[in-house]
Amino acid sequence: MIRMGRNDHAAIQAVLAGDKEAYGALVVRHSQTLFRVAYRITGNEADAEDVVQEAFLRGYRKLEGFESRANFGTWIYRITVHCALDKVRHRRGDETSRVGDTNDPEFDQVQVADPAAGPDRLLLSGEIGSMQLAALHSLTATERTAFVLRHMEDRTTAEIGAALGIEPNAAKQAVFRAVQKMRRRLAPLRVAT
Amino acid sequence: MTHLTEVEMMEEVYGESENTAGVQRHLAACSACAECFAELQRDLAGLDRMEAPARDARYGERVWAAIADSLPAYARTKRPWWAFGLPANPWMRGLSYAAACALLVSCAFYAGRVWEQRQQRMHEATVKTAPQNPPARQPIVVVVLDEHLDRSERFLVQLKHADVDSDTMASPLRDEARSLLAANRVCRKNVAQSDDPELTTALEHLDNLLAETANAPGGLNAQSIAKLQDEMNTNGRLFEVRVLRARISHRKGTGSDPAKGGDV
Repeated sequence: MIRMGRNDHAAIQAVLAGDKEAYGALVVRHSQTLFRVAYRITGNEADAEDVVQEAFLRGYRKLEGFESRANFGTWIYRITVHCALDKVRHRRGDETSRVGDTNDPEFDQVQVADPAAGPDRLLLSGEIGSMQLAALHSLTATERTAFVLRHMEDRTTAEIGAALGIEPNAAKQAVFRAVQKMRRRLAPLRVAT
Repeated sequence: MTHLTEVEMMEEVYGESENTAGVQRHLAACSACAECFAELQRDLAGLDRMEAPARDARYGERVWAAIADSLPAYARTKRPWWAFGLPANPWMRGLSYAAACALLVSCAFYAGRVWEQRQQRMHEATVKTAPQNPPARQPIVVVVLDEHLDRSERFLVQLKHADVDSDTMASPLRDEARSLLAANRVCRKNVAQSDDPELTTALEHLDNLLAETANAPGGLNAQSIAKLQDEMNTNGRLFEVRVLRARISHRKGTGSDPAKGGDV
């Protein structure tokens, strides 16, 4: 039975006092947000669900170190970003050849220079979205995460730096590199439209 | 005219430019940059379509159900008796500790001030009363007076029973009278400050007797001694000295004057 209505700090105190069930309220409250960012970083529903569960497990184990001054939502969000980043890096290691990857020389020819696929057809079939997703996957894990947090999650450069464990300026550079790379990858599509 | 870089344009799009006014002025004046900027905005806007698939309302409960069994419960912690009444939140508890420390320091400071003022008042009161009743000097005066009266008593006894035909006795009596006379004047001077008329009178009588003894014309002989015993009433002086000695001895022992019913 999950009890709702408690604030995060009260729930954390209850958990640390031995009431494990109180953590359920935190899981229910923050799962949707964490799934969204996990999906945007991993680009995969199954991976995103794994990331959310892993994030809550890590959060539970580290709960004693959680500073009460901090916001639990922000704290578990950062853990989720780290988990998603780990997931992407791990997956990159397993996937040596992937459609749309930076090292795939056929990607541009196959996905963009298809003469049979006009712009309208591409739009209607959702292939533009697929190309964008592929472009996103072509980024390094750090660039991709920084871009997702900045462009889709509306996080500030300082927040991105804190989530990734890098300096804010490095986070800003990662976002700009990501945008530049994606624009280059999607430039043929822009000409076609 | 220097055109905007791609980085400057991206900073402007994301609202992180440190020179927004300058960038906007340039975009208004430079059509090439304005076109590039609009293109960048379109590209970034196109990426907004990458939405995450929605999860249903029970998604959180499913996540909890999936992980709940693998989570060990934290050990139940019992709060110590001294933490009773303190907030459970560690941040608030820290504030409570800080407030308690501040209160303790304030109380200690206040107590110190009060103690200091009290000590100062006591010191001032002591200083005010000191001239009227010098506590350190009085015992010394009492001791000296007691010794003086003791010597005087012995002198008067010797004078009373003096062998008038013996020169060997007359000469020491006169020397002792001279010595006692000097000591008696010192005692009279001290006693004059103590507001004790009985003692003052006795010492005055003694002074006259000693002066007569020390300065008897032609030295002490049977005639002069008889004259002293008669005129100076040596028996009466001896009685006075004994009474005074008894009183002074008692005062020395108890620190109070029974005749006056008060402290010395």
